[in-house]
Amino acid sequence: MNLKTPALPGVAAIPPRRRRRYPPLNALIGGGLLAALVLLALLGVVWTPYDPLKLDLLSRLHAPNAVHWLGTDEFGRDVFSRLIIGARTSLWISLLSVSVAVVCGTLIGMLAGYLRGWTDRILMMLNDALLAFPGILMALGIMAIVGASQYGIVLALGIAYTPSVVRVVRGSVLSLRELEFIEASRVIGNSELYTMFRHITPNCLAPLCVLATSMFGWALLSESALSFLGLGVPPPAATWGSMLSASRTYISNAPWLGIFPGIFISLTLLAINLFGDALRDRLDPRMRK
Amino acid sequence: MNNYVKTALAVALSACTFSMAVAQDKVISVGLNGDIRSTDPGVNRDDNTDAVMMHIVEGLVAYREDTSVAPMLASAVAVSPDGLRYTFTLRDGVHFQNGQLLTAKDVQWTWQRYLDPKTQWRCLAEFDGRGAAKIVDVAAPDANTVVFTLDQANGLFLAAMARPDCAGSGILHPDSLAADGSWRAPIGTGPFTLGKWQKGQYVELERFKAYSPRAEATADGYTGNKQAFVDKVRFEVIPDSASAKAALLSGGVDLLPDVTAMDAAQLKQVKNLQVQVSPIMTISGLLFQTRDPLLKDVRIRRAVALSLDYSQMVAALSDGLSVPNNSIIPTASPYYDSTAHQGYTYNLDEARRLLKEAGYRGEKIRMLVNKRYPQMFDMGLLSQAMTQAAGLNIEMETLEWGTQLERYQTGSYQMMSFSYSGRFDAAQSYESVIGDKDKEPRKVWDNPEALAILREAQREVDPAKRRPLFDQLHTLMLKDVPMVVIYNGTAIGVMGKRVEGYRSWPVAKPRLWGVKLADTSK
Amino acid sequence: MAVPTLLLISVIVFALIRLIPGDPALLMLGDMADPQSLADMRSSLGLDHSVVTQYLIWIKSVLSGDLGVSISSRQPVLDLLVERFSVSATVVLVAVLLATLLAVPVGLLAAWKQNSAMDLGLVVTATLLLSVPSFWLGLLLLYVFGIQLGWLPVIGYVGFGSDPMKALTYVVLPIVTLTLVEFGAIARMARASTIEVLRLEYIAHARAKGLSEGAVLWKHALRNAFAPTWTLIGLILGNLLGGIAVLETVFTLPGIGRLMVDAIFSRDYPVLQGCLLLITCIYVLVNLLVDLLYPLFDPRVKL
Repeated sequence: MNLKTPALPGVAAIPPRRRRRYPPLNALIGGGLLAALVLLALLGVVWTPYDPLKLDLLSRLHAPNAVHWLGTDEFGRDVFSRLIIGARTSLWISLLSVSVAVVCGTLIGMLAGYLRGWTDRILMMLNDALLAFPGILMALGIMAIVGASQYGIVLALGIAYTPSVVRVVRGSVLSLRELEFIEASRVIGNSELYTMFRHITPNCLAPLCVLATSMFGWALLSESALSFLGLGVPPPAATWGSMLSASRTYISNAPWLGIFPGIFISLTLLAINLFGDALRDRLDPRMRK
Repeated sequence: MNNYVKTALAVALSACTFSMAVAQDKVISVGLNGDIRSTDPGVNRDDNTDAVMMHIVEGLVAYREDTSVAPMLASAVAVSPDGLRYTFTLRDGVHFQNGQLLTAKDVQWTWQRYLDPKTQWRCLAEFDGRGAAKIVDVAAPDANTVVFTLDQANGLFLAAMARPDCAGSGILHPDSLAADGSWRAPIGTGPFTLGKWQKGQYVELERFKAYSPRAEATADGYTGNKQAFVDKVRFEVIPDSASAKAALLSGGVDLLPDVTAMDAAQLKQVKNLQVQVSPIMTISGLLFQTRDPLLKDVRIRRAVALSLDYSQMVAALSDGLSVPNNSIIPTASPYYDSTAHQGYTYNLDEARRLLKEAGYRGEKIRMLVNKRYPQMFDMGLLSQAMTQAAGLNIEMETLEWGTQLERYQTGSYQMMSFSYSGRFDAAQSYESVIGDKDKEPRKVWDNPEALAILREAQREVDPAKRRPLFDQLHTLMLKDVPMVVIYNGTAIGVMGKRVEGYRSWPVAKPRLWGVKLADTSK
Repeated sequence: MAVPTLLLISVIVFALIRLIPGDPALLMLGDMADPQSLADMRSSLGLDHSVVTQYLIWIKSVLSGDLGVSISSRQPVLDLLVERFSVSATVVLVAVLLATLLAVPVGLLAAWKQNSAMDLGLVVTATLLLSVPSFWLGLLLLYVFGIQLGWLPVIGYVGFGSDPMKALTYVVLPIVTLTLVEFGAIARMARASTIEVLRLEYIAHARAKGLSEGAVLWKHALRNAFAPTWTLIGLILGNLLGGIAVLETVFTLPGIGRLMVDAIFSRDYPVLQGCLLLITCIYVLVNLLVDLLYPLFDPRVKL
């Protein structure tokens, strides 16, 4: 693993760590924001100001005030409480969908990249076909088939994002497999499978991490887009996306309904983008100063 | 710089609006939530198509404001004592939109076309003996008389004929078809003619200048004096309700004929808008699958019915515009009487007791909802929350509308939040729920006794004899709880101040005749 | 390569949309459907054949240039596609062009003055723009310019053929929204690749030759840095056409994205099949074009 492979975009290729007194600013802000959001999501497990599902038909569409800090929605539910539990659902759904895509994509990508030949050709043809498919429509179609449950969304988004992962993984595998240390592993008698998991998988991690962070952002966006098109997370659970899409009816007289979930989605995406940048800077040798 | 851009934009935009104002006279633009399917009335259709087509074509009879049936193109209708022969006398001097005079031959031709299975008329099943009586003959003994002969008495014959989803069985001129028999464009007798149809964007109707109105003083439902006053009606296709609202606020459209109660409450507060409300005949409620292992126990179904706080729920769903109604007969129906008014009384203790008696231990009950129709969704949401108090564990499952419809059709569900579209006769309302589940899985109420009473009501022509039958059905249905009817919807039209004379009504479709635009030159 | 991909896609599409429960006949008849009229309607739509037969019938007519007729509107699918596609394509192309013209120079400048206040400003702006959901931004713009200020029409669309000035007022907001969102992505990419290029030896070489900074940036850096940006633009173009559905919903634009979503909901099989065929064709074509044009921007790659 200590072979000198300067052109390799992998973890193994990172030269001895340069000592930095502070982590870069974007990692600091992004990481901090993310941590805060995750804390918020965890907070929802133990505490919310009100029951986020409790309907109060007598106090519908109240503007933010001392009792309801961020106002109430069209059923009199407390927006702040819904934002807190929404954090959990939204982040959880995004995380799960990305995991589905990463796991499926890695397996298929490695299979294609390592076995090559006909398997590769057929898999890649299928993959290209799926890649050409508009992701959001595919997700919409899958949701219509499996039904709009939380795991329906995870499945739909997971499948929709798998092709991109397959692409990246296969690319890395193809460039890795000709390298000396892989060759060496095979020469000393390790099986193909062992080589693949022992040596190739860790080396695909860097580009995968970068892709996974941006996919996390996409998943968050797609979840709200799906709600927007009419197939989101089923009620009465709240996600930021479904809150945002439900708010658009009230944009002129109850703007707080849309503004707060919108801000939270944007904040999360901002955190993810900053964090992703930092990650790329760290992992991609070409981007280092 | 910034100011310069602003000025330039403002100038350009005002130039646009100005040129629009000069070029056109009286155009009313109306929001439609989807494009029309075709211009072939009652054939390739949906709600929006019906709404537009009913401006172009007219039938022999039509619904009045109170959903009773009255002559339209006919001046009189006579029924033989055995109920088998209907004789229609046509009004004199009615012109088609191509200038031709309406004759009995045109009526005969139109009906022959409708009754031909190849036409695929939406309402064929009502007239070919499948659903009700069969039309054995349509004769035109003279230019002003048409005689329909049925094979058996049918109390619903005229009501079916007037149905808007049959396009009111609108009479067409034979030139509506091309020489090869394919559809060209509707040539009817209505107050508007078809103008430009830009698919996916708008449908324009133009005033039919030589329209021959009836003698009544005013319009009455789909009949009466239907004289048009605006030169053009432009139906704008706006699928998204939030955009439609925005368009109304910015003056992009003059009228939204059908907004949700919550939107209406909001729009009411805007100064330059006016709101028109009418109860309608849709039936909204919760359906049960009575063959479900859990829900086959009437006590559990009853517990659901008793755990709903109807007045609070309906007040929220309709923003105070509707009243609760546990009867399948809509409040706007002439058959809605004191018996139909009796319903379930909200009683949590009794609900809990019933559940305990039934041995219910918090088993999950899945209720299907959809987001296409917000009021079905909201009704499900509120029911779920309210039944929780009685200890019921209902879980919502959101489906795409088409999927939910399929589940409805096949009866594969435990519960669903559903709305039946408006039926204009009490027997039709009962018909939509009563039936043999083995033959028609979509029917929610499988009860032979009820079916027998229904059949009797369908044959009966005399309203006085039908009423007790419907009362009997209602009492039976409250006992069986195959579904919980919660309320009937409202049609809420919201329009700008310059729109005069527009009314919402139980049939829930917009009518643009009789509507004037006040001159509010800025 | 492209042809088997397209064929494969057509099979996937065909199978996938028929897996969605509910069919067009049911949706057209609604809650009043009795079994007999349902069966009649199905057979008149050709849905009573097996899926394989249906596919063969469809593919045969597609090969002879006939995409069929929409189930819901009875319009020929080809007409529908052309009509709706032109709307989406106008918006997407103009927005991406604007975004590119704005973002590339800005990215270049930011990279040149790396770590300056201007650079920081750009990075922050671009990242923020990238973090705003496009439809949320669209809604906000709609609210401000359409409802509050009343400057622009809120709904509808007029073809450029009939009244260009008016048409412009309808597409301004969607274009602005898309431009802003894509600006973020493109500017970041342009900046990153320029930074990378500026660090290369030949730039130092060019500077050493005494070339002005402007010439260095314009002639040497831009040319090389544009290659990855170009790939990104191709990707954006290919994906936008399918992804624009949400934005078209917000602005009620009769574009192809909206057409597809509506087709899914009304189970309008022929329209959906036609749309996806077109979209994937375009995707394949755009990718091909990007690959073909790549050498123009990246001298290192020679065909």
